[in-house]
Amino acid sequence: MDLALFLQLLINGLMSGGMYAMVASGFTLILGVMGVFNMSQGHFYMLGAYLTFAVAVSLGLPYPVAVLAALASMALLGVLFHLAIIQWTIPHGFFHMMLVTVAFGTIMTQGSLLTFGYDAQVVPAMFPGSFTIGDITLNRGKLLVIVGAIIVMVALYYFMKTKMGTAMKAAAENREVAGLQGINAKRVFWVTMAVGTGLCGIAGALIVPILSATNVMGTNVFIRSMLVVIIGGTGSMSGALLAAFLVGIIESFAFQYIGQLNLLAIFVFVAILMFFRPGGLLGKPLPIPGQ
Amino acid sequence: MSKTMKIMMILLGLLVVLLIAVPWLVNPYVLQVLILTVTYSMLGLAFAFSLRVGLPRFDITAWWAVGAYSTALLMLKAHMSFWPTILIGGIIAVVLGWVIFIVAVPRGMIAFLMFGMVVAMAMQQIFGSVKFFGGWGGTGLVPNVTIGSFTFANKPELYYLGLFFLVVNLLVYYYLYNSKIGRAWNAIGSSLNLASAVGVNVVRYRMANVLIGNFFLAMAGSYYVAYSLVAVPTTFGFANSIFVMMYIIVGGITHVLSGPLVGAVIITFVPEYLRVAKEYESIITAVITILIIIFLPMGILGWIDRRVKPWFTRWGKEERKVLT
Repeated sequence: MDLALFLQLLINGLMSGGMYAMVASGFTLILGVMGVFNMSQGHFYMLGAYLTFAVAVSLGLPYPVAVLAALASMALLGVLFHLAIIQWTIPHGFFHMMLVTVAFGTIMTQGSLLTFGYDAQVVPAMFPGSFTIGDITLNRGKLLVIVGAIIVMVALYYFMKTKMGTAMKAAAENREVAGLQGINAKRVFWVTMAVGTGLCGIAGALIVPILSATNVMGTNVFIRSMLVVIIGGTGSMSGALLAAFLVGIIESFAFQYIGQLNLLAIFVFVAILMFFRPGGLLGKPLPIPGQ
Repeated sequence: MSKTMKIMMILLGLLVVLLIAVPWLVNPYVLQVLILTVTYSMLGLAFAFSLRVGLPRFDITAWWAVGAYSTALLMLKAHMSFWPTILIGGIIAVVLGWVIFIVAVPRGMIAFLMFGMVVAMAMQQIFGSVKFFGGWGGTGLVPNVTIGSFTFANKPELYYLGLFFLVVNLLVYYYLYNSKIGRAWNAIGSSLNLASAVGVNVVRYRMANVLIGNFFLAMAGSYYVAYSLVAVPTTFGFANSIFVMMYIIVGGITHVLSGPLVGAVIITFVPEYLRVAKEYESIITAVITILIIIFLPMGILGWIDRRVKPWFTRWGKEERKVLT
């Protein structure tokens, strides 16, 4: 394999890995802290992409504004979803909570279908074109996505170091003891929801200039982020980050050689890994409340 | 036989008569929808079956597809009759399921759930991408199901065939739920730690449950091919699992046999009769599901148990014997 192709595939892998990292860390955060298996995570990602399209193209505002708008509105929608629906279903148990997110995801998909239609919605790139080093051509937009994903992950890392982030980790570790330490579970829950869905919103906003917004993009990313969470270990943030880039790179290289069956390649990889390291890539993950 | 039992038997008999009379009562379109409802009820029963041991499964469409494809391909390429393909499809689903789930079942519910989701997606990709299975356009047209010289070609006959499969499903599940293995499953479902503490081998019993579920899912797939006469990968999409979950919740999560059936009928026919545009149908379904989860967490049948039955004091006093 020549270097140019290798770098192309690597860049593609890192780009999708960045997306999976954001969606999966939001997912695993919500799962770890609240015990909610959020099936609508991929739909928040899709809606974030559509919102970026609406703000950047329909309203004609600059792209960075659109990214911020997607982040803010998805976080807000997540909080509203929690306050209006999820918090009433927490007493009913795991399966009910999961199904409520499924139903909400259906509403989001169908709503965006009715608003934006079946066609892919294209957002023009902020830095179009590509640059070349020697005989290697790299797409600028893709590099921007990777940089954006890294910035978001670093911001998330520092957020988890703050008082609120520590409270989240404590609530994930043991909800009762966290309550005894004076952690307000209600506030932790809605902040968790805002962070988890906001990450999806910003992921969708970052990717939309490369892959235009479509109705099925949410499901595709969600399935991959499931694999990421399995590899990284449920409830482990750093594991999810590492696994996301791993999955992205494997998928990108597998797509080059076996085409449509690339999901199968990751799947086999996950099955083998699961057999030898049942606790995830980085060892023992955090316990999930109610498992 | 107590008086309550007699009333139940009469109601059950009326229901059977109604189900048999349906093809004369409704128009062909509704009959078509009913045939679909029968298929989905079978999926729902299998879902409720593994939910019993605390494993919500998202891979039902994968095994449904395995059954459908094995029936379709065996009938097309090996020119077999329909009936043995049910068994072969079921065995393929069980063996394949055993190979795949040997890593997922011991890791507990969350990992099983996510793994199942990926299995469903991967299976659809395989059926769509590999040339042997016919690609995204689906397999060729399968011949009609025959038994002796009788051909299942029209809607009413296919409806009765589906009813037959549904009854077989119900009888086997009923037997299993009330057998010794069923009690072990019940123990695992109510309290995992307690069950393993009293000596129930959780992983083995869960595996057995999942594999039996696989067999019946494959059977539902065979029936699907019997009436649609073709297996197309897009039919076995992931979204079907979601609808099946909605049936379980709407019908009543504690009623493992009747819940999925009631839920399937309600979810299929309520949007149908609300006369809304097709685009709004899934939104309505989703809103109904959310409202039912928030206000009737035990589903329609659970609500009947709690609110309607006490009106008939005899029913209220009588302890429900099977299937809490």
